[in-house]
Amino acid sequence: MSWSLNEIESLARKAARGSGLSWGLAEEAGRSTRWLCAMDLPGADCLAGLLQQNDGADYPGLCPEGSGVAWAAPDGILCPLITGAALCDRAAELAGGRRITLARTAYPLLLYPHVATAADRTGAALGLSWPGVLLTRKAGVSTISARDDTAAATAVDTVEISIAAEFPGVSVKRAFRGDISPQTAGILKEFAHRTYAPETEESRLGGAGAGLTDND
Amino acid sequence: MNRTIHPRDPATVMKLDRMGSFHQSRLSFMRVLLRRLQDEAWHFDRPVFDIDARGVGRAVYSAHGPDRSYSLVAFANDLPPEKRSDRVIATEWDATFTLFDGVPTDEDLDRLERNVPRQEAGRVSDRELSLSRANRSVRLWDHVVERLAAGQQPDTEMVARVGYLMRTTAVYGSGKFGAADREKTADRPECRGPFQVEMLSVYLTRAFVLDLVEHMARLRAPDTAVTLDPALRRGFGIGNSTGLGMAPFLITHPVLINNWIAAREEALARVRSLPRATAAEAETFRRFAARARRHAQAWQSEHPVQIAKLRDLRADMDRLCEYLDNTDLAGDTPWNRLWIWAEGALTLEGQEQLVSLLMEPYGDLVDGLSMCMYADEMASFPIDGAMPVSALRAILEDIYGWALEIDWTRREAQARVWYTSEAKLEPRVGERFEEPIEPYEQPLCPGRDAARLHADLKQFPGATLAAFLLRHPQHRHIARRAQIAARFPYAEIRDNTIDAAMLPIDLLRAKLSFFGACHFDPRSDRWVRIKMYQNAPFPHELASGDADDWTYPHLPEAAE
Repeated sequence: MSWSLNEIESLARKAARGSGLSWGLAEEAGRSTRWLCAMDLPGADCLAGLLQQNDGADYPGLCPEGSGVAWAAPDGILCPLITGAALCDRAAELAGGRRITLARTAYPLLLYPHVATAADRTGAALGLSWPGVLLTRKAGVSTISARDDTAAATAVDTVEISIAAEFPGVSVKRAFRGDISPQTAGILKEFAHRTYAPETEESRLGGAGAGLTDND
Repeated sequence: MNRTIHPRDPATVMKLDRMGSFHQSRLSFMRVLLRRLQDEAWHFDRPVFDIDARGVGRAVYSAHGPDRSYSLVAFANDLPPEKRSDRVIATEWDATFTLFDGVPTDEDLDRLERNVPRQEAGRVSDRELSLSRANRSVRLWDHVVERLAAGQQPDTEMVARVGYLMRTTAVYGSGKFGAADREKTADRPECRGPFQVEMLSVYLTRAFVLDLVEHMARLRAPDTAVTLDPALRRGFGIGNSTGLGMAPFLITHPVLINNWIAAREEALARVRSLPRATAAEAETFRRFAARARRHAQAWQSEHPVQIAKLRDLRADMDRLCEYLDNTDLAGDTPWNRLWIWAEGALTLEGQEQLVSLLMEPYGDLVDGLSMCMYADEMASFPIDGAMPVSALRAILEDIYGWALEIDWTRREAQARVWYTSEAKLEPRVGERFEEPIEPYEQPLCPGRDAARLHADLKQFPGATLAAFLLRHPQHRHIARRAQIAARFPYAEIRDNTIDAAMLPIDLLRAKLSFFGACHFDPRSDRWVRIKMYQNAPFPHELASGDADDWTYPHLPEAAE
């Protein structure tokens, strides 16, 4: 079904929050998913897979350890939402030439919006790569070397983030709609549903502010 | 321009009680829209009007600008009285609408007829820019149809008191329920300003509603029915019922809100900085002050909070008019002298009304600021992780100092929870210590969150925000806000949005005043009725009349 980008962002934000991520990370997950879908990349599918995989996992186990150049998760697989936010927070270091290597990482495509934001903020040309795939961002232009399953990989053993020198593939044209499969939408809606307070008679009457008659 | 007076301090402006006293002004979005429609000589037509004697059918109202056309597609319904409700839980309405990008074909209309009347339960496409619905004011509707059918005009006093034949209960834009995202239209000059699409939709809705009431009278009594007298006709606006759904917007769009308020404050500073006022400018201002006084007198509400505010406003307007009677506006910096007097002499209602009034004589100085009222919210979204922890602490102490002084262990200080209900997916406010809703709390309490962030920053041994946030991800939301607030002075409300005494209607009024709404009439502490476009010229009158002189009642001719 064709979704507006606003709908996608809103659903992704709520789903990420429903999975237990902090509001700040959830906001970034919403923006990221919107950004990927606007490029006709399977951002929503990756998010749905990731949230299912990490459902119930603790933050510290998914979070990059140390502040060096090789990042790895204590529990063995990095969360791309947490790691992406940390990379974007270090935009200036990346732009200054620091190369960061990630150990095993889930759904690495979800890192792309964060790396792109880091590039846009600093004016640097940055690249994100794992075996078979190179994604770049330079001066507001995104290139992607492969649009096959390797781009949407569920996990990879290593990811590199560094200054980009070459820009293979075609630049990606931005769209104004996103297509999300009913299955993916169903998963995200289930997570989003966890952010809604169950209805009580008290909340129905008081919460929205009924009072005087609204009908005259 | 060269201004010597600075815009007001955000710590003064961004208080909920003051924001809840804002009034419409030259910068309000309805007025910006009508000025554009007139300046660019937009023309209007009604390619479809097919409504039967039961009041059921469809109509299309098209607005044609220099480059593009937009069409309001309306579906009229024969709604049983027991189904008529303004609350978001309603499932049927007297009329439903969408603003179509262009002029719809019959195929488009058929598709829309299957979806628009169902509102949230339907689905629109990226050819549609908004989705809305309206219910009749039954008393006035029946009265008007009856009178017109009998060849008479409706009762003037009743028209003035109710002020509308239908009130909209939600106007959804920007990508809601499948509609086009704002990105699709944001580069068009006519859509760039905030809420121009929604304001156009409501403006055309008003034209439809008046045509419909005359049509119904004609069908009832073809031999005797008359149309409304044009002057009386303009007295009908569109009502609106707005609940909590709108309140979080002011908190979730900090840069946009900054730009709205910064434009308004810049306008005030510019006028206050004027070294002199011409006799004509002074006269215009005096006339608007007298008109605003009449406006305050005519404004009705049954809500105790608003009754007290109206008492303040009326007394303020009396005081202002008396001051003007005894003051020469010919001297040095007359507006600044007036302003300084007002800060000491008027309540918040009167002060904020004065902000709007001071803009009235100075369209050349003020109207262009409407170009600064939209925002690129993406640009301010990323967190600057390189910021030293000490710098963020300093920002918090500067901008959220008021929050750091609150004792957050007091129950009253965090009595409320903003949450989303499962039933209608709409924002609500509940009681933290009485309902099991805290786990569902939305991040709409920046003051408390800033205080928590500040406390954790004090304990953190590291140097940069990036390191801190990796350890404390729960603070990412408020850290982003604080960085935004450091760059955009009016981005943050400097008040506790979860306090036991917080009034959601203050948030609603601040936003609705920027829309250009009048006659705020709270129906509880969390929903409000307003009037839009009352006394405005209709589309067919725009070319010949004044598109921007309708928000305050005119004075009796002798006084003009």
